[in-house]
Amino acid sequence: MDAALKALAEPRRREILRLVWMRELPATDIADHFAEVTRSAISQHLTVLKTAGLVTERRDGTRRLYRADRNEMKNLRKFLDEFWTSGLERLRDVAEAAQRDKEKR
Amino acid sequence: MAQLVREIMIEATPETIWPFLTEPDSLVRWHGTVAEIDPRPGGIYRVLVAGQFQSAGAYVEVVPMEKVVFTFGWDEDDHPIPPGSTTIEITLHPEGDKTRVRLVHSGLPADAVDDHGRGWAHYLERLAVRVSGGDPGPDRGSAGEA
Repeated sequence: MDAALKALAEPRRREILRLVWMRELPATDIADHFAEVTRSAISQHLTVLKTAGLVTERRDGTRRLYRADRNEMKNLRKFLDEFWTSGLERLRDVAEAAQRDKEKR
Repeated sequence: MAQLVREIMIEATPETIWPFLTEPDSLVRWHGTVAEIDPRPGGIYRVLVAGQFQSAGAYVEVVPMEKVVFTFGWDEDDHPIPPGSTTIEITLHPEGDKTRVRLVHSGLPADAVDDHGRGWAHYLERLAVRVSGGDPGPDRGSAGEA
């Protein structure tokens, strides 16, 4: 889980994950998507994603094909909950501060 | 369709909490960075979240100090959760000098999290902010970075 979080902290790795979410893609197609990034950098990102269990790799002849591993992503499903949970925690903080200000007056 | 329910107890009155739900300047102190909202039935709801994700919907029901209901989605081409496609209901329940705030996000496609990578984009972004910052309040932080 920790590896997955760290892997997702890099914007290009998130973009790669989006690319291979619905379909399997060869590494070359993934690299082509990033005009400004070297192929070796993309290869490193893919390795990080693979190590984190977020993508699976399959070899087809000389090609390497990648796709998202949704099982690992399901472990991150709780993030959807956290989106609102953390929001409500901030609401509590600002509302309680406002309440204290009111009572001081 | 899936729904998500979250509750939190706040040591403040509904009167104190209400502006944070209905006034743009107060709303962005806890949710999003830019809010364009018109909290009356049919009024627009547009909040920019995490500095780059535009959420959009419309108000359905507004009962001062008690309840606000609005539709909600992401304003992005082909997003699996389009604007107005889900509903968020926030209700305030006074309990003594505290208030229980209940948020129900309903109408979420059950597969929004599992099958649509684009639906994940928003959540991944927030996740990444949390991971790199480790502290709540990433919305304001990401505005500074943008």
